[in-house]
Parts: sequence; structure tokens; C-alpha cells
Amino acid sequence: MDMLTLILVIFLGGAIVTWIGNKLNPVIGDLLFLAAVIVPSGMFFTGVGVDSTTTINALGLTLTWGLSPLSYLFSLVVVGLGILLAIYSVPFMKGNERTGAFYFNFILSIGSMLGILVSKDWVSFFIFWEIMTWSSYLMVIINGKDVQKVGIKYFVFSAIGAYAMLMAMVVMNSQLGSFMLADTFNNFQHMSAGYQILIPLLLLLAFGVKSALMPLHVWAPGAYSNAPMAFTSVFSGALSKMGIYGMVLVMITMVNQLPNGSIIRDVVAWLGGFTAAAATLWAITQDDGKKLLAWSSVGQMGYIVVGVAIGTPLAMLAALFLVVVHAMFKGSLFMVVGAIEKQTGTTDFREVNGLIRKMPWTFISALLSIIALAGIPPLAGFVSKWMLYEALIQNNNYILVILLFFASTAGFLYSYKFLHGYFLGQEEPEWDHVKEAPIGMIVPMLLLALGTFVLGTYPQLLFKPIDAALQYVGYTTTGGSLWADSVLFSQWGDVVMLQPILYAIIAVFVFFVIFLWFKGKKNTRYVSTKDISTSGEIPKEWENLTFKVNFFQPFERAIEPFLKRQIDKYYTAFGNGLEALFEFSRRVYTGNGQTYAIYAVLFLALLLLFKSNLFG
Amino acid sequence: MVGTPVLFIAIPLLAAFLIPLFGMVWKESVRIVPGLVLTYLLILAVNLLNYVTVNGPIVETIAGWAPPFGINLVFNAFSGFLVTLMVFMGLMVWLYSYRFKSNVEYEPARKYFLLLMMLVTGSVGIVLTGDIFNMFVFIEIVGISGYALTAFYTGRDSAEASFKYLMMGSIASVLLLLAIMIIYSQLGTLNMADIASKMHLMDPKYKIASFILFVVALGIEAEIFPLNGWAPDAYSEAPGPVGAAFSGIVVKGAVYALIRFTYTIFDLSGSFHLILIIGLITLVVAEVAAIRQEKLKRMLAFSSIGQMGLVLVAFGIGTKEGVFAALFIMLNHAIIKPLLFFTGSYLVYHSKKKKISDLDGIGKLAPFTSVLFALGAFAIVGLPPFAGFWGKLSFLVAAANSDMILIIALILVVSVIEIVYYMRVVNRIFFFKRSSSLLARRPTPNAYIVMTVLGLAILLIGFYPDSVFGYLHNAANSLFDKSQYIHSVLTATIQ
Amino acid sequence: MATFILAFVVGMTYGGLVRKITARVHNRIGPPFYQNFIDAFKLYSKTSAIHHGAMHFMGPAFLMVSSIVSLMIVPVLIPGGDSWYNSWFNNMNAGGDLVFLIYIMVFGSLGLALGAGQTGNPNSSIGVTRGLSQMVGFEIPWVMALVALMISYKTTSIVDFINIQQETGKWLMFENPFAFIAAVLAMLGMFRYSPFDIVGAPSELASGPVSENGGKFLFTMMSSGSVFSFVKLTLFVDLFMGGAENLVILVIKTFALYMIPVLYGIVSPRYRTEQAVRFFWGWPTFIGLLAILYAVIF
Repeated sequence: MDMLTLILVIFLGGAIVTWIGNKLNPVIGDLLFLAAVIVPSGMFFTGVGVDSTTTINALGLTLTWGLSPLSYLFSLVVVGLGILLAIYSVPFMKGNERTGAFYFNFILSIGSMLGILVSKDWVSFFIFWEIMTWSSYLMVIINGKDVQKVGIKYFVFSAIGAYAMLMAMVVMNSQLGSFMLADTFNNFQHMSAGYQILIPLLLLLAFGVKSALMPLHVWAPGAYSNAPMAFTSVFSGALSKMGIYGMVLVMITMVNQLPNGSIIRDVVAWLGGFTAAAATLWAITQDDGKKLLAWSSVGQMGYIVVGVAIGTPLAMLAALFLVVVHAMFKGSLFMVVGAIEKQTGTTDFREVNGLIRKMPWTFISALLSIIALAGIPPLAGFVSKWMLYEALIQNNNYILVILLFFASTAGFLYSYKFLHGYFLGQEEPEWDHVKEAPIGMIVPMLLLALGTFVLGTYPQLLFKPIDAALQYVGYTTTGGSLWADSVLFSQWGDVVMLQPILYAIIAVFVFFVIFLWFKGKKNTRYVSTKDISTSGEIPKEWENLTFKVNFFQPFERAIEPFLKRQIDKYYTAFGNGLEALFEFSRRVYTGNGQTYAIYAVLFLALLLLFKSNLFG
Repeated sequence: MVGTPVLFIAIPLLAAFLIPLFGMVWKESVRIVPGLVLTYLLILAVNLLNYVTVNGPIVETIAGWAPPFGINLVFNAFSGFLVTLMVFMGLMVWLYSYRFKSNVEYEPARKYFLLLMMLVTGSVGIVLTGDIFNMFVFIEIVGISGYALTAFYTGRDSAEASFKYLMMGSIASVLLLLAIMIIYSQLGTLNMADIASKMHLMDPKYKIASFILFVVALGIEAEIFPLNGWAPDAYSEAPGPVGAAFSGIVVKGAVYALIRFTYTIFDLSGSFHLILIIGLITLVVAEVAAIRQEKLKRMLAFSSIGQMGLVLVAFGIGTKEGVFAALFIMLNHAIIKPLLFFTGSYLVYHSKKKKISDLDGIGKLAPFTSVLFALGAFAIVGLPPFAGFWGKLSFLVAAANSDMILIIALILVVSVIEIVYYMRVVNRIFFFKRSSSLLARRPTPNAYIVMTVLGLAILLIGFYPDSVFGYLHNAANSLFDKSQYIHSVLTATIQ
Repeated sequence: MATFILAFVVGMTYGGLVRKITARVHNRIGPPFYQNFIDAFKLYSKTSAIHHGAMHFMGPAFLMVSSIVSLMIVPVLIPGGDSWYNSWFNNMNAGGDLVFLIYIMVFGSLGLALGAGQTGNPNSSIGVTRGLSQMVGFEIPWVMALVALMISYKTTSIVDFINIQQETGKWLMFENPFAFIAAVLAMLGMFRYSPFDIVGAPSELASGPVSENGGKFLFTMMSSGSVFSFVKLTLFVDLFMGGAENLVILVIKTFALYMIPVLYGIVSPRYRTEQAVRFFWGWPTFIGLLAILYAVIF
């Protein structure tokens, strides 16, 4: 059995073995879990080359698996997050009674995502896609919260997307005679015109659901926040990127070949922009860290979709860069929330505050990740957002620039809310007992956060794989240096302009911190946050004067007309309408035997009446 | 060769009659004899199936009269496949119901196993026979056993369900006789192959009339809409294993009959489309009704009806791929649905009204049963990597190759509905708070074995579909090849 | 470095002048125009007795970073201009720096917000949320105006804008008046004078950043504020009023521009935050849209 098959088998077997092991003894379960994730990941990175292929025959169909440069890029995200989160999960899930099920679904998710990335034919793609869907579904409901509402909503939306993909792929097979990805893309022109439009739309529907593009996003806030935080990092960081992976493939290969493809591209780009702006606004109104981050994820995916939809080399570079960077900072942020949840028992901003001194490492990770999210230099988020803006301006998509800018600026609001909500504010005695999270949770968090810093200063590290990926799917314009397109890097010949600025920023920052510190700290004593000066009035110890409730009330009032319209309401109304319809059809079965007999007679009469129509 | 096709009918029939006699000698034999019979039949079936794969169909004449005058049995890849399936399911049902709620006592046990044997006899007979009146006889046998088994739990609801079944079944019999009479009066023969070869001579008026009568009659048994009113009641009032037997054995026989008439015997041009439309409507109505059900077994019954609708749609496509897909779905259904019925029975064991809401949180108390139920649910919805997926995929490929885009879309929409109601139940089982008074029944060892075997079968087919690929392929080929059927029957010599 | 000193001096002076002018309009005498320098020196020489933790230090540091880096990007004088001291003020300019600048300007407020939160004073947080909300408000017309300019001239480099104005001899203020008006309206919000001064609303919030940060912290904040004002004014002059060939012209132009928000603010009452946000999304945004349309059509 060759490497790829072996890896996937280990994932699958590992899932089952871990579950069994966990039933026997939790420690064995933990060890097996770590092994089941890390071993195949290691094998994947060392043993699988970019051009190796495997084929398996089933049911007369040939399943082909192999790695392409594009999937390699995404696999970095999947496997990287997988390993880090596996380490994180062990202390996170300690004492949880559903640990076995968690491990099982976790391993399956990672394995199936990898499977999606190595699928070279649509049947395998779909198989792994569905496995990924149901294993993440089980994760969403694993804590038993809102299973019918949130869980089923997630499954239904995913299923609609997946079945759209299924329909597209069988139609393609009947038209083009093959299930191989490469064949369907290369021979796309041979399909009739109607199908040429239908297929990409169906596929975009499938991938749009997974990347939570509006209006298909309604499952995301609930699903992201109900799943255990250790998994949500993977969920938001890697799983949603599978939608992006698919979208990239469809956009580049199919939509580009359509005569009116630019219309589809524009529509998708606008949807992405709208998603970014609207989701950001919703994030601002949230009072629970999980929901806030969930909406934020939806918004960030909007950015990525805009980049993919625009399609110029620079835009794609920006989008793919953002894919990796988003996985890093979002993964870290969800881990932060998980750590807070574990240590304090709640994630509501209105309940927790002042954790900055008690969980300093968590705070640092959160701070770095939030800065990356907001797109501030010198962290990596800036590089990707910058390139995106540049691409939009070059492509004359000015209104989109404004929309995205608005989203970024509004993003500052919820960034602040997040940091302030958990870490700043007055420290209450009820949270005095809170200790820093266990080291198994801190290390992955910090690694990801620092990673954004590294990528921000040395973005070239990521450019090579992205370049290879883009060249693989057909962008050949760069001649090896894709980033030359961006002003950030090419302005002064070979010198990357970004770096002097970054160094300047860092230098100034450090200077002033030291300045204030030495001048300020040496002879000063630390004063708790309870000790504030308010023009003569001295608040008592027991009064908590932290501003939390209705944090952005003025802003919310300003955007109130927008907040009233929720797409979710439309879906719910539609669902209720359907239920009424179903109720009606159930009543056909009256339970009365004579009715049934009459049905039979009527049916007979009907057929006899229409016999000439039926049989010609 | 271990035996001949006639043994499939002769032995269970004989066993059925002899069971009371054995019972008088040794009480336990009532339970054991059916098991022995079914095991033997399974070995025979597999053996013969492998034989016909290599050597072509077996045609066996009865009572010395050569076709087309005498009755003959045809065991080819298609009918043999179905027979194997039915016998296997019979074995599973026997093993499961070796000792369950109501047949622990001797009296009910005797009746139960007797009727079970008759049920198997009848169903297998429908599939094997090559004579339409013979088929009628077997349908009646199945009917009688079915009515009786439905009323097995003495009580008002069961009696009512059984009565409805009886009434509908009688209508079916009447219509069936009418249809047979028309054909006999026009063509003068009762042999299927003979009718097929002479079909083009028949007056279109009579042809269409008789076909319609066949469709309605067989449709009642095959639970198509709007003739399936009796089915949800029968399934939910009958004991669990009986429900499994209905969905796994009886319905398959009826569907077989319908298909045999459509594909082999009649040559009407719109017949495939009719089957397709009927199947489609059945599917949609059944799934939509399922989503509103509160009782578990009723929900499963509707789901079963829906699956049969899907099978008919697949047959209605009219291509070889369509037939292949239909058979695959039938195979999956025959394995998964009984698993659902078996596990479902145990899960609602202590519930008074057998409602789904009584299942809250039972996953903790009965983990094994619940996990298998979940496995069945995942499989029947069509999620990879379980068995149901491959069936659905074959169906979609077949439909796509015939350019039936709208049908594909409709089927997929219905699949989403299926997901909703199955997942709701799975969620309840595992993730809802359980009431403190919840009790779960421990399955008996034999039930455990059955459920595990079925579960493993699902996984096996899911991961390695090629294991059944060959059989299905041959079965599809043989159905499609009308002339071979006619030829092999009419040229059979007396044995 | 020279730029920094210039900015500091000019910024502080303007601040002081403004206080004088405000006072005169209010019919008082007011402090001398160099008052701000005195305040700054006093604050610098104070020693703090307490601190509120590490974040407290970082807040003002972030703010300074923002101001100084913006300063490094904005071209103060026209390169190659006719004054002998031009070369002192050469900055790091490059293409696309307009976009960069927008980002950096925002960064500062976020940093201050973080520092403010650490003090535990709820009023700081309130002030911050108001400030951020308002920022979302005025960013829209501001970005629209800039985008309109970018569309017209297909460049994102400030230096290019200066050059274009030099070449054509016409100020962009008149080339695309809508953009200018939208930008000025946005500027009202940026400077946080009335009617948009709810952020640090003096008579509403009895405490907040001003009372929590004493000594060196306040010094940093104050100087950063002055530098920042200077930067914004210079940016405006560069983009809309043709840049400045020498320091004198620079001072005149910036001061003239500065008077707009100051004078308007002196006589205005205060908007609530949501009113402010809604205001910005109303007329100024509309004018911004006009600006873009104008740029696209012409």
C-alpha cells in the first residue's frame, strides 16, 4: 500500500482505535489520539511528493488520489492546524465525558480534509467531503446544545451544498464521460451551453455554503460557537477553507471559460464584499466571544472570496495568503476563547473581565492575533489585506474597496470589544482564582500568534508555495516572482520596501515603551484596576465599574435598520411554510381503511381514463 | 449443485406444515427447525447463484409438463439474486425473533414460525415462478401470512391494521385475477415467457387494460402511492421483526413482480415512464409524510415506502444502469431497513406509545443499540463511506446519463428531507436529556448477533462495494435481456 | 528627525493658537499661544507614582508609533522644491502609501484604546467605544474621497498627487470639489472638535484618559496628538491644495485649513455618537459618492 492510502487508512483506523482506547483508559486514549494525528501528518509531510498518484478501483469507477501544488498549500493549513490543535485538545478535553467521541470526530475531520485535498476525481472528492460534513456535524452537537436547531441547520445547509455538487458531478460525467477533475476542467467547453452555466453555479453553491458566503451563512454562527473550541479552530481555520479550495478550482477553470463568466465573478465578489461588511457589523453586536469570533470568521471569509472572485494574479495571491494567515490567527483566537472557557467557565463578556494579569500568555496570543485580524502592520494580516486592496484598485473595483475598508474599520470595533471584554476592565474578586491555562494549551496558541508575526515580517516564506500553486492552476505571468506585482515588495528594485517600514514601526514602539517604562516604572507601585481616580469621587471596592453591557450601543443604534433584517428569519419562515405543507400531505393517510380502498379505485379509474396519454 | 430451485418452495412449505407436529414432540424444535431450513436455503441460494453466473439460468419444470404448458421455475442471475437476498433476510429475522417479546410462550411461537415460513415460501415463490397464475397463488400465500402476522399482538390497533391490510390485499387479488383472466382469454397461455413472446399479437385495448390492472394490483402490495395506506399501520402495529420481514422480503417480491411484468412480459411504450412517475410520487409523498411522524416505527415505515419509490424510479429510467442502481438500492434497503427496525424495536421497547420523544437520551443506557441505529440512519441517508452511498451514486449516474436533470434535483431535495428526520431521531437518542424514568431493554444475545452482522455488512459494502458488484451486474444484465429469458424457458426440457 | 521637531513645534503652536482663538470667540482672553509648550514641559517633568500594568505603557506607545510612522510617510514639502532646507524633510515615500497611511492613522486609536482599558476606569472604555464608532462613521466619506482621487489619477502615491497638482497648476480642491467637501466633512470628525467631541466629552465624562494618565503618559499622548494634527493637515494640503514649496507656505496653508474645523467647532453643540455616525453616513457619504461618480465620468 503506498503512502497516501496508508496515511488515510491510519487516519480512519486511528479514529476507531482511539475511540476504543478512550473507553478503556483516558490516558491511553490521549496518547493514541496524539499518535493518530501526528504520525500520519508527519508521514504526509515527509513522504508524499507533489506528483505521486494512487488509484483505487471501486464499482467500476477509478478513484485517483494525488497531491497538487494548490492542495499542498491548503494541506499546510489543514495538517498544521491539526497537529497544533491535537496538542491543544488533550488538556482542553480533560475530564469531559465525551472525549472519545471528540477524538473520533476530530481525527476523521482532519483525515477527510486531507482526503478532499488529494482527490483527483470527483467521486473521492464527494466521499471525503461528506465524511468531513458528518464528522463535523457530530462535533457541533457533541455538547448537546441546541442540537435540533443549530445542528440540523448545519447539516441541511451542508447537505444542500453537497448534493448540488453531487448533481453537478453526475451531469458532468454523463456529458463528458469522466469523473476526473482534470478531465472535467479541460473538456468543459464540450458541454452544452445550458450545462456550462448550471454546473459552475451548482459547484459554487456547494463551496459557498462551506465558506459561509452570504446568504448561505446562517448555519455558521451557531455551529462555530456550539462546537467545542478546540474543534472550532479547525472548523473555522481549515474546514471553511475547503470551500475556498473548491471555489478557486471552479473560478479559474470553469468560470473563466464562460463567455459571460465575468458576471458570475462580479456577483460572487459583491456577495463576498457584502458578507465581509455585514458579518463584521453583526460581530460587533455580540456579547459572547464565541459568537463574535464566529461572525468575524464569516466576515474574513468574505474577504477571501472577494480575492478569489476578482481573479487577477495579485488578488489570488492576496486571497491565498489570507487563507493561511486567517487560519493562524483565527485558530489562535478560538484557542484563546477555549482557554478562557476552561479556566473561568464562561465566555460571556458581561461576566468575565480583567484577565490580563491572570492569563498573560493567553492575552499576548490574543493581542497578536487581534492585531493580525485588524490588519495592522507588522503582522501578517496587513500584508494580505494590503495586497487585496491593491488588487482591487488595480482592477478598478473601487466600490468594493470602500466596502472592504468599511469592514476593516468596523473590524476594529469588535477587535477592541474582544480584548476589552476578556482582558481589560476591573478585576473582580470572583475571578481571582483564575490561573493561566495549562502549557499544552498555551504553546500552540502562542506558536500560531507568533507565526503571524513571522509571516508579517517575512512574507516571502509563503510566497513560494503560493506561487507554485497559482502556476499550477494556470497563472503563468509571474516568471517566478509573483510578488513583484505588489507595490509593497517591488518598489525599490530588489529591496522589499515593507521591511524598512516594519523595522521603523518596531523600533519606535520599543523606544517608547522603554521610555515610558523606565521613566514610569522604577519608582512606582502597581495599582490594581479598582483603584481609579474620578475627580474626587472614590468608588467602593465592591462596586464594579466595568463597562460591558451594551458595549457599542450608540453604534448599534446607528445601524439598527440594518440589524433588523436578518436572512435567518427568511429561512425560518420558509422552513415553517414547508412544515405546514408536509403536515398537509401527512393527512392523506387518514387511517381510515375505506378511504384507502377508495384511493385504489380512484387510481385505477385515473389510469384507465388516461391510458391513451400514457401509452400512446 | 446442492439442490434445485424447487426446493426453495418445497422445503419451507413442508416445514411450515410440519412445525406443529414437531412441536408436539419437542417444544424447542418449533424455533430450531425454521433456522435449519433457512440456513440450508441460504447455502443453496449462494451455490446456485454462483452456478448461474457461470452456466446461465436454471429452468426447472414441475410435474413433468414442459413449458409453456406446465409450471416452471426460473433461477437466473436476477431472480437468484433476489432469492438469496430474501433468504438471507429471512435468516436474520429468524435469528432475531428466536425469542422476543411475544413468542416466548409455546403457542404464539408455533404460530409465529409457521407463518414466517409461509411468508418466506410465498415471497420466494413469487420471484422464482415463471407462470402468472402460480404467481397469484404465491401472492395469496404471502398475503395470508402477512395479515396474520400483522395481527400477532392481540389488541385493537393490531387488529385494525391487519384488517386494513386484508381489505387492500383483497382488492389487489381481485384486480390481479381480472388481469390474468384478460391475458388468458386473449393469449391462451399462462406462462410468462410464452406471453412475452406473443405479446405483440395482443389487441392494444386489452393489453393496456390488463397492464393497468396489474399495476394497481401489484402496486397495492408494493406500497406505491396512493395504494399504500395500509402499510404504515401494518408496519407499526406488527412486531418489529415482522416489520423487518415486510420491508426486507415481502415488498421485494411485489416489486419484482411489477418489474417482471413491465420489463419482460409487456412491451408497452409508456410503461417505463409510468413506473417512473409512480415511483417519484410515492417517494415524495412518503418522505414528506415521514418528517411529520411521531412514532418511530411509522416513520421507518414511510421511509421504507420512500425507498421503494426510489427503486421504482430507478427501474423506470429504463436503462441497464438504472436497473443496476435499482438493484443496488434494493440490496442496501434489504440490509439497512431491517437493522433500523431491529434496533428501533429495542429502543422503544418500554415506551407505551412508541413515540420518538420517548427516546430522549437513551444513547447512554443502550449504547450498542443506539450506535447501530445511528449507523443504519447514516447508511440509509446515503452518507459515505457506508453502503447506501454507492447505491445512490449509481442511481444518480444512471439518471444523469439519461438526462433526467429535474429528477436528480428532486431526488436530492428529498434526500435532504430524509437527513432531517433521521438526524432528528439520532440527536434525540444521543444528545437530549433523558428522563430519570427511562428504561432500556437489553437485547438478547441472538439479537446482538443479528444487529452486528447487519452492521458489518453495511460497513463491508460501504468500503468494498466491489464485493457485490459482480452479482448486481449480472442480475441487471439478465433482467434486461428479455429474449434470453424467453429462449431459456421455452427451450427447457423436462427434468 | 527634523520633520518630527517641525511637527511637534507646529502642532503645539496650533493647539495653543486655537485655544486663544476659541477664547476670543467666546469673549474671553484665553491662555497665551505658547501655553501648550508650557503644559507639555510640565507634564514631562512629573513623575508617576503608580501604574496599572504593562498594557498601560503600551497604549501611549502605540499612539506614538502611529503618529510618527504617519509622519514618515507624508511628504512635508515638495521634493526638489526651492528651499535650502528641503532635504531635511525628505521622507520615506513610495507608491501606494496613501492606503498604508489610512491604516496607520487608525492604528493609533486602537492602541490608545487598549491602554485606556487597562486602567480600569470605565469612562475610558466608554470614550473608546464612542471614538471607534465615530471613526467608522467618518472613515466612509474619507475613504470615498480618497478613492475618487485614486480613480481620477490612477495612483496611490501622495508624491504623485503633489506632482500632478504642480504640473497642471490647478489644485485638486477645485478639480474634484466633491471629494474635497467630503474630505473636509470627514476631517471634522477626525479632529474631534465639536460637534464630534463626544469621545472625550469634557463635561460628560468626569474622568477617563485625561485623568487616568498623568505625567509622562499624558505628555506622550499630548505630543502625539499635536504631531498627528500636523500630519493630517499636511496630508490635506498635499492632496488638495497643491503641496507646499517651503515652510512658510506650508504653515499658511495648514493653518487656513485648520481654521475650518476649529471655527465650526467653536460654535457648535455636541452630537451624540449615533447622531454623529448617522450624520457621516448621510450627506458626507452622498457627496463622496458624487465625488466618485465625478471621477469616473470625467
